[in-house]
Amino acid sequence: MRNRLEGVWQFAAVALLLGAVACEGPSDPMVRGAARYDQCAPCHGAKGEGKPALAAPPIGGLPRWYVEAQLDKFRIGARGAHLEDSAGLRMRTMALTLPAEREVQVVAHYVSSLPHAASAPSVSGGDSTRGKAAYAACASCHGVDGAGNPQLNAPPIAGQADWYVATQLANFKRGIRGAKPGDATGATMKAMAVGLDEQQIKDLAAWVASMPRG
Amino acid sequence: MISHAVDQVSTFAKDIDVLILLICGLVGFWFFVAEGVLFFLVFKYRAKEGGKAAYIDGTDPKHTRFISWPHRLILLCDVVIVVAAVRVWVEVKQTMPTPDQTVRVVSQQWSWSFQHPGPDNKLDTADDIKTLDELHVVAGQTVQFELVSQDVIHSFSVPVFRLKQDAIPGRVIKGWFKTTQTGSYDIQCAEICGIGHGAMVGTIVIEQPERYAEWVAGHAPVAALATPAPK
Ligand code: HEC
Ligand code: HEC
Ligand SMILES: [Cu+2]
Repeated sequence: MRNRLEGVWQFAAVALLLGAVACEGPSDPMVRGAARYDQCAPCHGAKGEGKPALAAPPIGGLPRWYVEAQLDKFRIGARGAHLEDSAGLRMRTMALTLPAEREVQVVAHYVSSLPHAASAPSVSGGDSTRGKAAYAACASCHGVDGAGNPQLNAPPIAGQADWYVATQLANFKRGIRGAKPGDATGATMKAMAVGLDEQQIKDLAAWVASMPRG
Repeated sequence: MISHAVDQVSTFAKDIDVLILLICGLVGFWFFVAEGVLFFLVFKYRAKEGGKAAYIDGTDPKHTRFISWPHRLILLCDVVIVVAAVRVWVEVKQTMPTPDQTVRVVSQQWSWSFQHPGPDNKLDTADDIKTLDELHVVAGQTVQFELVSQDVIHSFSVPVFRLKQDAIPGRVIKGWFKTTQTGSYDIQCAEICGIGHGAMVGTIVIEQPERYAEWVAGHAPVAALATPAPK
């Protein structure tokens, strides 16, 4: 009887250990990130190339710090929590399904390892020559080549899809993005966008999208 | 019984639970009777030395009454269930008590947002309070809701109210509930509406009138929804 009981305890301990290992999953962040990214691929595409029909932007190759920061903002309601931001509201819910901060990190790590994908132009009426001139105001943060500047929390934007750049500039301008408490970096960018008119937004989108991502 | 697992917080929650228990009880009774008879007969007439099968053609009333009497009794139970169900249906879905307050419930992939009537208690006026995720109502009041969808079909489900109502794009669907106590309870979506359906949740905050008034006073200025002035 005693032996039998001991056997049960040993079995339980081993099962528990195995269970714990199974929950932890693979420890390689890249493998874990790839697995977690399955949840993002339906909208952002298998390679992070984005799906304009779903308003989901290309995210492949965005720096890890930026992806993490944005996911955190979605999770705390600093981005994507405006009632008129249907695309942001969708992304907010998806970010909230990440079970833990650690998952934010591994998925951000994986996203940053994906290649940047070029997008075909889709916004009409933008003039990239005028956009290039207007971009002078942006270069101090996003860089002359649009490569971004982590010190200023400014993401790379060169080669980003024009429709996404245009929507985000309009969102910043209207206070749909960058106007919530807890979004200090968004507020910086919002201040840059309030002065833009519709035509300037299109011009800038055309220029930004045409810049090569380094 | 059910209330041990999920609180009853609307006036009709109890009626719906009674209905569910009634259905469970009647259907469960016949289930156990039928299974009991089945297993009893299987056991009684199991293969035995010298046993021979009888030929029964199923026309002798002596045999058919074992089917026809339970059949009649079950039909009677059905009538009881239908009458009880229709009464609850009429109470919950076919009557519209005069509301103390009207709110708009907006469903979209994958969030709940709400429009409260604000200090003037009238919907669609400048002082309306729009919120994401949180619906505030007063305990003990009858609330009428106007349910709309921005995109696909959703379903407004509040388990503690035993309330579930589909939202159909293009339609304004009205319904009501009357709360019975204070507290914060879950709102969920009960109609598959896309990849984020399972995470489409909200909260209903039921407060005493004073607390609610405080909340209204704190949120009434349109500031929260209009574009804030550029800094
Ligand atoms: C249901 C579709 C959907 C899913 C699934 C989804 N996203 Fe998104 N995502 C969006 C949309 C739409 C936007 C654009 C939001 C906006 O317009 O502000 C977005 C934006 C983003 C952004 C901001 C990009 C930028 O340049 O600022 C990041 C980062 C992001 N998603 C990461 C993820 C990750 C990681 C996952 C998986 C955990 C994921 N998304 C899953 C739809 C989705
Ligand atoms: C003062 C620094 C600063 C300047 C100048 C600036 N930005 Fe930004 N921009 C930022 C920051 C910081 C962010 C990130 C906001 C966030 O964290 O949500 C950003 C975000 C963006 C985004 C969103 C990128 C994405 O992936 O979602 C776009 C598009 C953008 N900026 C375009 C511009 C354009 C066009 C200009 C010139 C008119 C400009 N920015 C000028 C700081 C700046
Ligand atoms: Cu839904």
